[in-house]
Amino acid sequence: MYEPKIVAFFCNWCTYTGADLAGVSRMQYAPNVRIIRVMCSGRVDPELVMKAFAEGADGVLIGGCHPGDCHYQSGNHKTFRRYKFLKAILPQYGLDPERLHLEWISASEGDKVRDTVNSFTEKIRNLGPSTVRETLNALRTEEVSHG
Amino acid sequence: MSEKGNGKLPRIGVYICHCGLNIANVVDVEAVAEFAGKLPGVVVAKAYKYMCSDPGLEMIKADIKEQNLERVVVASCSPLLHEQTFRRAIQEGGILNPYLYTHVNIREHVSWVHASEPAKATEKAKALVAAAVRRVSAHKPLERKRVDVNPDVLVLGGGIAGIQASLVLADSGKKVYLVEREPSIGGHMAKFDKTFPTLDCAACILTPKMAQVGNHPNIELLTYSELKEIEGYVGNFKAKVLKKSRHLYLEKCTACGECAKVCPVEIPSAFDENLAKRKATYRPFPQAVPNKFVIERLGYPPCQAACPIHQNAYGYMMMVKEGKFAEALEVVLRDNPLPSLCGWVCTHPCTDTCTRGKVDAPLNMPGIKRFIADHAGDFALPMPKDFKENGKKVAVIGGGPAGLTAAYELRKRGYQVTIYEAAGTLGGMPAITIPDYRLPKDVLKKDTDRIAATGIEVRLNTALGKDVSLSEITKQYSAVFIAVGASKNRRLGVPGEDNSWVLPGLEFLGRVNSGERPNLGRRVVVIGGGLVAVDAARTAVRLGANVTLVCIESWEEMFARRTSEGQKEVEQMKAEGVEVLTRWGPKEFKSGGIELKSVIRVFDESGRFSPQYDETKTRFLECDTAIVAIGQAPDSDLFKSQGLSVTSWGGLDVDPVTLQTNIENVFAGGDVLGPDVVVTAMMAGKKAAESIDRFLNGRDLYEGRELEGPFEGVARPMDLERVERKPAIRMPEREPSVRIKDFADVHSTYSPEDAQKEASRCLMCSICCDCQLCKPACPVEGCIDYSIPDEEIELNVGAVVVATGFKIFDPKRIPSYGYGKYPEVYTSLEIERLVNSSGPTEGKLVMKNGQPPKSVAIVHCVGSRDKNYNEYCSRVCCMYSLKLAHLVHERTGAEVYNFYIDMRTPGKGYEEFYHKLLDEGIHFIRGRVAEITDWAIEPSEKGKLVVRVEDTMAGMVRRIPVDMVILSVGLEPQPDAQDIRRLLKLSCSSEGFFLERHPKLAPVSTVTAGIYIAGACQGPKDIPDTVAQAGAAAGEVLAMVDRGYIELEPIKAHIDAEDCSGCKMCNGLCPYDAITYDKERKVSEINEVLCEGCGTCVAACPSGAIDQDLFENQELLYEIEGVLKYV
Repeated sequence: MYEPKIVAFFCNWCTYTGADLAGVSRMQYAPNVRIIRVMCSGRVDPELVMKAFAEGADGVLIGGCHPGDCHYQSGNHKTFRRYKFLKAILPQYGLDPERLHLEWISASEGDKVRDTVNSFTEKIRNLGPSTVRETLNALRTEEVSHG
Repeated sequence: MSEKGNGKLPRIGVYICHCGLNIANVVDVEAVAEFAGKLPGVVVAKAYKYMCSDPGLEMIKADIKEQNLERVVVASCSPLLHEQTFRRAIQEGGILNPYLYTHVNIREHVSWVHASEPAKATEKAKALVAAAVRRVSAHKPLERKRVDVNPDVLVLGGGIAGIQASLVLADSGKKVYLVEREPSIGGHMAKFDKTFPTLDCAACILTPKMAQVGNHPNIELLTYSELKEIEGYVGNFKAKVLKKSRHLYLEKCTACGECAKVCPVEIPSAFDENLAKRKATYRPFPQAVPNKFVIERLGYPPCQAACPIHQNAYGYMMMVKEGKFAEALEVVLRDNPLPSLCGWVCTHPCTDTCTRGKVDAPLNMPGIKRFIADHAGDFALPMPKDFKENGKKVAVIGGGPAGLTAAYELRKRGYQVTIYEAAGTLGGMPAITIPDYRLPKDVLKKDTDRIAATGIEVRLNTALGKDVSLSEITKQYSAVFIAVGASKNRRLGVPGEDNSWVLPGLEFLGRVNSGERPNLGRRVVVIGGGLVAVDAARTAVRLGANVTLVCIESWEEMFARRTSEGQKEVEQMKAEGVEVLTRWGPKEFKSGGIELKSVIRVFDESGRFSPQYDETKTRFLECDTAIVAIGQAPDSDLFKSQGLSVTSWGGLDVDPVTLQTNIENVFAGGDVLGPDVVVTAMMAGKKAAESIDRFLNGRDLYEGRELEGPFEGVARPMDLERVERKPAIRMPEREPSVRIKDFADVHSTYSPEDAQKEASRCLMCSICCDCQLCKPACPVEGCIDYSIPDEEIELNVGAVVVATGFKIFDPKRIPSYGYGKYPEVYTSLEIERLVNSSGPTEGKLVMKNGQPPKSVAIVHCVGSRDKNYNEYCSRVCCMYSLKLAHLVHERTGAEVYNFYIDMRTPGKGYEEFYHKLLDEGIHFIRGRVAEITDWAIEPSEKGKLVVRVEDTMAGMVRRIPVDMVILSVGLEPQPDAQDIRRLLKLSCSSEGFFLERHPKLAPVSTVTAGIYIAGACQGPKDIPDTVAQAGAAAGEVLAMVDRGYIELEPIKAHIDAEDCSGCKMCNGLCPYDAITYDKERKVSEINEVLCEGCGTCVAACPSGAIDQDLFENQELLYEIEGVLKYV
């Protein structure tokens, strides 16, 4: 079976801690997601998301505090705007916008970490491998040959 | 040291932890280590059983030295647990900066969540380790910033946890601010009688501690206060606390209780679990700390808020309830100079919002006010005479409700007021047109005489535009208020309207009112659906005619029926024999009657008045006289002639807020803006008086006037389903057949007894009724002051202890237990009050009938250990149930049955206490209670409550009849725990209790540094555990505060001025306003102290000029690369 690679950016205060809770509660979920910790989901620069896709991620998951619960007051609001923006530009790179997902998960929602990871993994599995890396490599080669 | 691009990587050591079997059981740790050893830059890669143990740490330290390691990666548990441990270790090694380190989470995020997929888990662990190795190569040495710590501490919650924490901190010399939202500290413990298992009295051990808090020089007690905002960070928090006004000066109050004696308000006492009443002026219990009273005011109740002039209906209701009729009139007169007029004819919007109306029927506020006004002559009327004359002159043109109100309000403020009235008497439209049966002349005269007697000059028979002009008046007076009303009859504009037998409504009413008794013939038709039409119809009935009222509206739309008072009028009219014909409009007045046409609609889609007729569908109505009462209009020609601007439909053009006209010092209101009811005109009078006063004193005309006119009031939380039904007391009403023979009053006024009975139906929505009886009752001069506002104070503290406690489970959520339905089903907390010697029954455990129970059931686990409600065990219920069983048995000798699922008695002396009770003969039945019912099957069950339960020991279903049931309710988070969580940036467990940083190793710390938790807000616990935890929290605070400084994580953002384009994009993004723009250098700068390190600005910078320590772009990019590249 095809095993997608998924990069997740989880905020330190809510979602990362929620993922810890899922662990402490021994909840079982798909092993496809690799979590990168940031202090706030507001730190997730669109560049980081694009980098993940460029390096071969088949999907990118962002997890932040629920609106109104942000440890930094409103970082997650900014995340939401950037998320909308990213969704809009992904098709330009031949990426299905469904490959990017944002979820608000609090520190007490271990079950939501499990459910989100499982359903997102399943979704990416259905979408199949991302071909962006090959596209980019081809572009690079082209650049070199034209260079 | 490596730099990007030069190809030389730093020497990296990688350590994989087995965590016993926690990780090693799933992840092939040796394979991960082997894999790591082959990664670029890695010189050492080892797996070890417990990396965090001393040998593990020593191994790393030794390797750093021997292998000249420049970077370290440890893959073990969550970084939230042990990142600091390893950082400290490599620092202790003496060589490495602690931030040349990366922590990988392969336990919580790998082995524990992928237990059944070891191969994939191993693969994931490899990827995460590779990412860390790649990331750590970009790490730079960082320094932690030291910040001084403010040694003062904020403690939230004054229960036993907050008390204990405060005392420990204060005793060690720290300044403590203890914030409690109730008027007294003590919390739940103050309600208890005895404490388990020692059975020592709760008050005996708690009250000395409370007193200690009250007297401690280092504790500033802020009761009746709430935390509103908090900002800053560990060591330096800035908190905003709202000190609610007690409406008295704390330092002056001697707690003598004289104020409470005169207070007429009685509402359920929350401290006594609603089993007793308390006053609006109260202290929760006699040993309260501080031992002071509070006058609890919520604001305007719904009735007062709905009233356009904010008449304090609640206040006069309370006075009447108490039989204090003169005081009632005084309350009425505070807001209303026309009590008689309003008592008789006001439409009383107050009744439409009355909370009692949602229970059975609204209070008869008009009837009560009329009762007060009718009896006004019996009292020595308080006449406000001591005006501070200010020497300024104001003219009021028009002596109707608006003009009279304005004149009185201005007079109260010290103005010399002259009223110009066109008619020969004061009172305006009500005096001229309202029939005697609805408003006798002498009644209105009582009001107008009283107003005139305050020293207002009255010029009767002086009409504006005829006898005097506006310009003449403005020359003599500083300001003018025009309230000449709407005296012009609206015309139908249909053929035949000028026939002599077609009478304008107002003119007709005026003639009858002045004593004429015109002959109308046998059949009269009144046209119109408003209150004037109703008046005309009922007057015509009294002149002996058969009357039909024709209106274009449908029954539901009828203008007169828009208020509940109007509906009463219409009902009375119908009872008097008037026929109502709806949805017909006049087409033509022909000889012998009126031709009517059918109405298609009255209002258009947007709700505007825009009637449409079907001209083909007609009918003929025979009549001798027709009276047209379709409304009045202001005299726009008059206004224009006086130089005033007029709106498109003829009313005076004024500013809606200030009522100012186009002439600066001329204001106008009442029906000149369009016809409306009496009380709306009075509101205009009040508003105009306020505007004129502001205008003549050069103050802003607009500021702070949002609450003028009706708004939504406040009511204390009430369970309306459980409010006792009390039928309305009706005013005596004369038979319709009798009353139509004369013009005398339809009702007769309440008897004093009936008035008191009706007034006592009031639900006392806003608690304090503003009767102001307590102020003169208070023996201390200047203690009570109703104008003391709420106050917001700012506190600077270094740490916060949250001890906000719990609430009990609401057993109404389990309907089968019958709480709220059967009076003899109680919560355990209610029983605590009943067995408490300072409780409502002074410690006598009796049923509602006053008799002690002969048998009592105690139902355990109510709302606990139940997936439908709370899955968790509330921990204290078994023990307090045993305590209550003992007390009930001891006090009443009753048979006591405990229904339990499992007995949970872990604790010092707890199990022994259980055995003691077994020896005392208390019954224990194992099984969850299915139902409590009063449905008797056996004769022995008659009149009893039957507890139906499956006895799992006996293996049978049993029915146990008892007199009383005690529900051992569980503990839940406070209803506003989520607000506190947001405020303090805490986390909550899924049940809603505050989450500790680590369940075992950091049980009183939270994820937010500097904020600690203690007591039941963290989870259900008993008093000993709560006190221990409070002590622990205080200890943690002291450890931090006494060091004097804290070190901040080096995760700050910084701007490279070289790269900054000065676009200012980041400035607005920072939630802490840490970024400012330097105009001279044309770059943005980050204030390092204010920056909290979220990194939002980094992600936004278009030129990549901003970066964040420890989360640098390069580091994160490497991490992404690493997580994907090698596995």
